[in-house]
Amino acid sequence: MSVTNKITVKRAEIVVAVILALCSIALMIKSAENRITWNAEENMGAGFLPFYLSLGMLICTVLTIIKFVLKRSPQSKDDSPFIEAEAFKYIAVTIISLVILVLAIGYLGIYFSLIFFLAFYLRYFSSKSVLFISVFSLITPVLTFLFFEWLLKIPLPQGISEPLFYPVYDFMYS
Amino acid sequence: MDVFILLLEGIFVSFEPLNLGLLVFGCLIGLFVGAMPGLGSVNGVAILIPITFIIPPTAAIIFLAAVYYGAMYGGAISSVMLGIPGASTAVATVFDGRPLAVKGEAMTALTAAAVGSFVGGTVSVILFTLFAPPLAEVALRFNAPETFALMVMAFATFVGLGGDDVPKTIFSILIGLALSTIGLDLITGKPRLIFFNIPGFLHGINFLVLAIGIYGIGEMLWTLEETKGKVQMSKLSVNMKEVGRAFGALKKTIMAMNIGSFLGFFVGILPAAGATPASLMSYGITKQLSKNSKEFGSGVPAGVVAPECANNSASTGSMLPMLTLGIPGSPTTAILLGGMILWGLTPGPLLFTQEPEFVWGLIGSLYIANFFTLVLNIALIPAFLMVLRIPFAILAPVIFVLCVTGGYAPTQSLHDVWLMLLFGFAGYILRKLDYPVAPAVLSIVLGPLAEKALRQSLILSDGSMGIFFDMAEKPIAAIIMYIAIVLLIMPAFGPLYRKLFKKAQTT
Repeated sequence: MSVTNKITVKRAEIVVAVILALCSIALMIKSAENRITWNAEENMGAGFLPFYLSLGMLICTVLTIIKFVLKRSPQSKDDSPFIEAEAFKYIAVTIISLVILVLAIGYLGIYFSLIFFLAFYLRYFSSKSVLFISVFSLITPVLTFLFFEWLLKIPLPQGISEPLFYPVYDFMYS
Repeated sequence: MDVFILLLEGIFVSFEPLNLGLLVFGCLIGLFVGAMPGLGSVNGVAILIPITFIIPPTAAIIFLAAVYYGAMYGGAISSVMLGIPGASTAVATVFDGRPLAVKGEAMTALTAAAVGSFVGGTVSVILFTLFAPPLAEVALRFNAPETFALMVMAFATFVGLGGDDVPKTIFSILIGLALSTIGLDLITGKPRLIFFNIPGFLHGINFLVLAIGIYGIGEMLWTLEETKGKVQMSKLSVNMKEVGRAFGALKKTIMAMNIGSFLGFFVGILPAAGATPASLMSYGITKQLSKNSKEFGSGVPAGVVAPECANNSASTGSMLPMLTLGIPGSPTTAILLGGMILWGLTPGPLLFTQEPEFVWGLIGSLYIANFFTLVLNIALIPAFLMVLRIPFAILAPVIFVLCVTGGYAPTQSLHDVWLMLLFGFAGYILRKLDYPVAPAVLSIVLGPLAEKALRQSLILSDGSMGIFFDMAEKPIAAIIMYIAIVLLIMPAFGPLYRKLFKKAQTT
């Protein structure tokens, strides 16, 4: 039995509800760093709203858990896999490549990171030719650059590749 | 009668070659800006303001108003075609627009959005022309308690927005509101919920980060699971039969058009409300009043028409306090107001008498802009549909690029891009377990407005919640609050009502 088959909808429902309950408690504790009381003299403390909103979230998750225990929700009776093995592969590859993309943006800069991301993604998921993938992976960052940096004057992160763009800026602003 | 003569003169002004050219150009730019995730009417108008210094004020306001109008529709294009709201005003359009496109009925969704926008825009301009001065006075009576009551009503309609699971829907609303409290407290100035002391949290969480995460990244992961990266999103054709069918589907959306147009206009004229709450409330109320409320969210044209009617109607409405009182009804009108001051005009009641050509030229241009936006939208539908013919393996990375750049651009911080990814993954998991994600996005948009209004009201009332229920002192707030309570408890009585109804039918 594969890992994905072991994670059923039923199991995912209770695990997620418990995680959300724990997150709500963590939010309540974090909110309590500020004053959480409210009265006419002092008005509302900075932590009042986040604290009671988190308490409301906790109550909702507890209700979801109660519904699960009483088998009142559709998920509590669903033994099908939460995610199919084949789909899991695609989702996992996408998530990992996105995380690597954002990590790379901080170091390499957005334009070069996009070239590598697009080339990898298209190679993995599509059956397009190497020529198509190369052209597409190069044109998209160029269009992104023109739209943001030239048209909107919004600079995107360039990391260590920034000096390579100085001649382009000289040309654009001369 | 004077009004109609002035309006006719205004329409003639907007037909002058320079004004008409700028109007059509503005609509086109607006469509593009609105469709780009991360950019909305406010960005478009702000970016283009410097261009207007070389043209007369009337041409400038006509151009910028056309950009504003075009952007209102543009947001719907990306909502329908990509499942990413181009702007907050188009968040509600995703709920039914996207499922329609996935079902292969993108033509219907885009036609519904175009016609809805046209109807909402036209009704609101007529209302604007007829009721400008008296409505401005009503809007002036909306202070903090009334605004908070309005927000509570908006949240109450969300309870009906999610699935049948009320705890999960309320959880979604509350987490959106909790996320909106992150950052500096607006009254005490103290930092709140700054996790691990990361400075990025100090400026709060921009709603776009959550919206792009959930509707961009989350939606793509969802589609990837459905298609396994192999098949195309939809196969579509544009022919006269399809066009006829799309217009035919609009017959059932008359109620949505009425709700969207009138509610949108009224919410639009309220300062600090604007097109986003208008579109969300319009969707929620149309859903609750519809006979087919259960079908909302699975792709019904009325679910597209209601928010689109409302956001266009509200965008016109928000210009009313801007022109008559000098109070902006939305962030975009705040920039337009700034532009008017830069052009040497003084917004306020005297503007109508001192600069009639400017005011009536703008009002006249709104009628014409409505017509041109409709024509452009319908004419460009085949071009929009081409997006859906792109294989998913190519479309997905392009959308990821748009998401990453759209998440970065508003605050220029990689911290927001990380948050966007986190929200995307979390949204995908929660959606698979039937947690409605839309209310969270709606709450993070309205959260800061609601908190500000609540705390101002409580300062006014020395901490008493009675201010929201005082029929003698605050009748508008009290009435809205009671309506909100009825809307909130309605789902609880739903099963009871159905049981009684069944019993009555069987006996």
